[in-house]
Amino acid sequence: MLTTVAAGRVFDYSYCIGMYAMAGQGFWSPQDMVLGPDGVVFVLSRGMEELGQRITRVTLTHDFQGQFGSFGAGEGQFIWPRSIAMDTATNLYVSDEQLHRVSAFDRAGTFLGSWGKPGTAEGELNGPSGLAFDPDDNLYVVDSLNHRIQKFTKDGTFLNAFGSHGSGEGQLDMPWGICTDREGDVYVADWQNDRVQKFSPNGQALRQFGEPGVRVGDLDHPSGVAVDSDGDVYVTDWANHRVQVYGPDGSFIATLVGDAQEPSPWTQTYIDANPDIVKARRRANMEPEWRFRRPVAVKIDADDRLFVLEAARHRIQVYNKEKDYEEHPINL
Amino acid sequence: MASKDEIALMGHLMRRAGFGATYDELQRRANEGYEATVEDLLRPEAHPPVDENVLYRFFPGMEGALAPPTNQADWVYRMINTRRPLEEKVALFWHQLFATGNSKVDNPPELTQQIAMFREHGMGRFPDLLVELARNPAMIYWLDNNGNHRGAINENWGRELLELFSMGVGNYSEDDIKEASRAFTGWTIAPKIPRNPLGRFYWNFEYRPEDHDDGEKSFLGHTGNLDGDDIIQIVVRQPATARFLARHMYNFFVADEPQVPSWNITPPRDPEAIDALVQAYEESDFDIRAMLRTLLLSDFFKEARFERVKSPAELVVGTAILAGNYNQPRPGFPALAFECAYQGQELLNPPSVESWHTGSEWIDGGSLVRRVNFAAGLMGNTTLPGIRSIVDGIREREANSPAELVEGCLELVGPLDVSQTTMNELLAQAEEDGYLRWETEEDARESEQRVGVMLALIAASRDYQFA
Repeated sequence: MLTTVAAGRVFDYSYCIGMYAMAGQGFWSPQDMVLGPDGVVFVLSRGMEELGQRITRVTLTHDFQGQFGSFGAGEGQFIWPRSIAMDTATNLYVSDEQLHRVSAFDRAGTFLGSWGKPGTAEGELNGPSGLAFDPDDNLYVVDSLNHRIQKFTKDGTFLNAFGSHGSGEGQLDMPWGICTDREGDVYVADWQNDRVQKFSPNGQALRQFGEPGVRVGDLDHPSGVAVDSDGDVYVTDWANHRVQVYGPDGSFIATLVGDAQEPSPWTQTYIDANPDIVKARRRANMEPEWRFRRPVAVKIDADDRLFVLEAARHRIQVYNKEKDYEEHPINL
Repeated sequence: MASKDEIALMGHLMRRAGFGATYDELQRRANEGYEATVEDLLRPEAHPPVDENVLYRFFPGMEGALAPPTNQADWVYRMINTRRPLEEKVALFWHQLFATGNSKVDNPPELTQQIAMFREHGMGRFPDLLVELARNPAMIYWLDNNGNHRGAINENWGRELLELFSMGVGNYSEDDIKEASRAFTGWTIAPKIPRNPLGRFYWNFEYRPEDHDDGEKSFLGHTGNLDGDDIIQIVVRQPATARFLARHMYNFFVADEPQVPSWNITPPRDPEAIDALVQAYEESDFDIRAMLRTLLLSDFFKEARFERVKSPAELVVGTAILAGNYNQPRPGFPALAFECAYQGQELLNPPSVESWHTGSEWIDGGSLVRRVNFAAGLMGNTTLPGIRSIVDGIREREANSPAELVEGCLELVGPLDVSQTTMNELLAQAEEDGYLRWETEEDARESEQRVGVMLALIAASRDYQFA
C-alpha cells in the first residue's frame, strides 16, 4: 500500500534515495543517518571488513555531494561505525563499536577529535552504538555491550548513566538505537529484549513499546526509534523487516513494510545502463525489492516526514505523515 | 574424572565430528561419556543454532553478501562458534560430496543458502536430501537443469546425480542418464530480481509443468511416467548408492581413501567398515543419522586416530578454536576464509563437481608452508586467550621439566600423538633452556614465551597436519 491509513493517521509513501556502492555515489550496509540543514542527509556506511566505511553527503533531491572517513584505527577513521548524530553547531559525532570511541567532524568532513576508551567503568565504553543529543546539546551514547546508556558532554566528559543488564523494567540487553523527544525524554531500542523503552532524562523507566514476536504490534530485535511532533513513536523492527508505529500511550497504530515501487534516480540510471538487467526485471516479481530489508534507522524531520534507512537495500524510503488527508469515495 | 585415554578419544571424536575443541571442553565431554557425547552430537536440535541476529547485527554486510570471501567468512564464523559441531561438519561433508562452485554460479549467497540446506537436511534421510538438492537453485544452475527442457534435454544434472552424487561410475548406462534427465525436465529456477544496485535477491525453485516430459521412461529396470522424485526413490535403493555413500563417509570421517575416480577399480581400505555403514543405511530406511551413529560408535572409527590429513578448513578452524580469539563477532573472519583458500580449499568454490582431492593431495610445498605459518603464528601467540589458558594449564600442573613441558603441551592441544622423530625434536628444543621457572615476573614471562615456542613447534610439526 502506498498510502497507509490507520487510527486517524495517514502515512503516504513519497520516494526513495540511494543505492548500493562500495564507494562514491551510493551506500554500503548503511547503519544510520542524520538530517542536516539545507536538505542534506549524512549517511553512515558500515561497509565490510576493511572496505566501504564512510559518511556520504546527499541531498534530499539525490545530489551526491561527496564522502569522508575511511577504514582504519587512525584519527577520523572507522572500523565498525554504527551511529551518527548532529549537535546544534551542526558538527557530526560518529560511534565506533570496535574502537570504542566517538569521533567528531564538522559538516565538511574535517576531523575535529575523538574521545572514549574501552572498559566497563563509569565513562568507559564497550561497543558504543546509538547516539542522540539532548536539548542541552549533551550526547547520549548507547553503551551497548555494557547494557546501559551514558551521557557525556560533546567533548566526552562523563555526566551520568542509567540501565543495567537484564530484561526487567528499565534494564537493557544489547541496546542499539536511541532518540529523544521534544520533552527531552529518551527512547531506547532494547534490542535483545524485543522492545523499546522510554526513560525520563534522569533514567527513570516510563513506558514500554512492543512485545517479542512477529504479530501485529510485536517487535523482533528493534534497531532504531524516532518520535514525531504528535508524540507518535516509530520503530525499525529490524528482524521483522518493517516499521512499527505506536501512539504516545504505547498503543499500536500501524505497520509500514516498504513501498519503493519506483527505483531512486541513481538506481534507475544503473538499470538503464544494463539491458540485461532491464530484461530480467521485466520478468521477475519485483515486490521483494519494494519492501524493507533490515531497516536500521528512522528519522523524522520538522515537517514530520519519515525517513527509513535499510541496511540490506542500501536505501532510504521517505513517507509523509499527511495532516489534512481527505478520503476518496470508497465506491469509486 | 575422565582418564587421559578417554580425553584423547574425545579429542579424536571432536576433531572428526566437529572441528576440534579446547581441552576444557574435551574434559567436560569425556566426563559425560563417549556414547552420551555421540548422541549429543547426533541431536543438534538440542542446542541453539548460531544466533544470526547477533551475526548480522555486527556483520550487516554478510547477509546476502556480494563477495565470495564474505560468504566464506560467514561459514567459518559458524564452524568456529556453532554449538552443533556435527551439524556443521556434516554440512562440509555434503559440500565436498555435492561440490557446487562459485566459479560458475557467481552468486555466493545462493551457495550460502545451499550450505544452510545441508545444515537443515544433512542428517536426515538421504532421499529427502537428494530431493532438496535437486530443487536447490545453486545446484540447478551449477549443473544446467534450468537448461533441461522437454524435448531438449541437458544431461548434466542427470549424469552427475548418478556418477558423483549417488551410485558412482559403472553402475548405470548412458540410457539411464538420458531417462533420468527427462524425468527432471521442468525443475528450474523462477525468474529472479537481478543483483544490484539494491543488494542480492534469492533464487527460488520453480516447477514448470509445461516444460516437463510426461512420457514413459525406463530407468534402472523401472518403467513408467517417472518424474524426478521417482528417480531419486529408485537411486537411493541401489546397492551401489549405499556403498558409494558409505565410502564417502569413511573417507571424510574415518581415514583417507584414494581419490573418488579410482573407486571403481580400487577396493575400500576397510571393506568391513563399508559393510557396516551399508547395513546401517539399508536398515534405517536410508537415514544419514543412523549411518553416522554406527560410524562414530564403531571400533574402526575409534582406532583411526590421526589417519586423515586435515583439510584446510579443519586446520584453520581447529587452530582458531584452540586460539580462542574468534569466539565472537570481530574483524578477521574473512582473513580466516582466505587462509583456507591459500591452503587449497576455497570454501564455496571447489575446483570442479568432482570436488577437492583429499588426503595427501591437500599437501604441497606451498600449502604446507601456509599451514605451518598459520598454525604456528596463532599457537605461538601467548596473548591469545586460548593460548593463555594452555600456558596457565602448564603452570598449574607444574609441568616444568623439559619432558613434562612437551608432554603437557601435546596433551593440551589435542591430545596429539607424535612420532618418535617429532618427540625427539621437541625434547631437544625443550632441553635447551632447562626447566620452566615461575618464581619471579621475569621467570614467568620467559617461561610463558617458552610454552608459546613449544606450541608453535607442535603446530609446525608433521603430526599436527593429521586429524
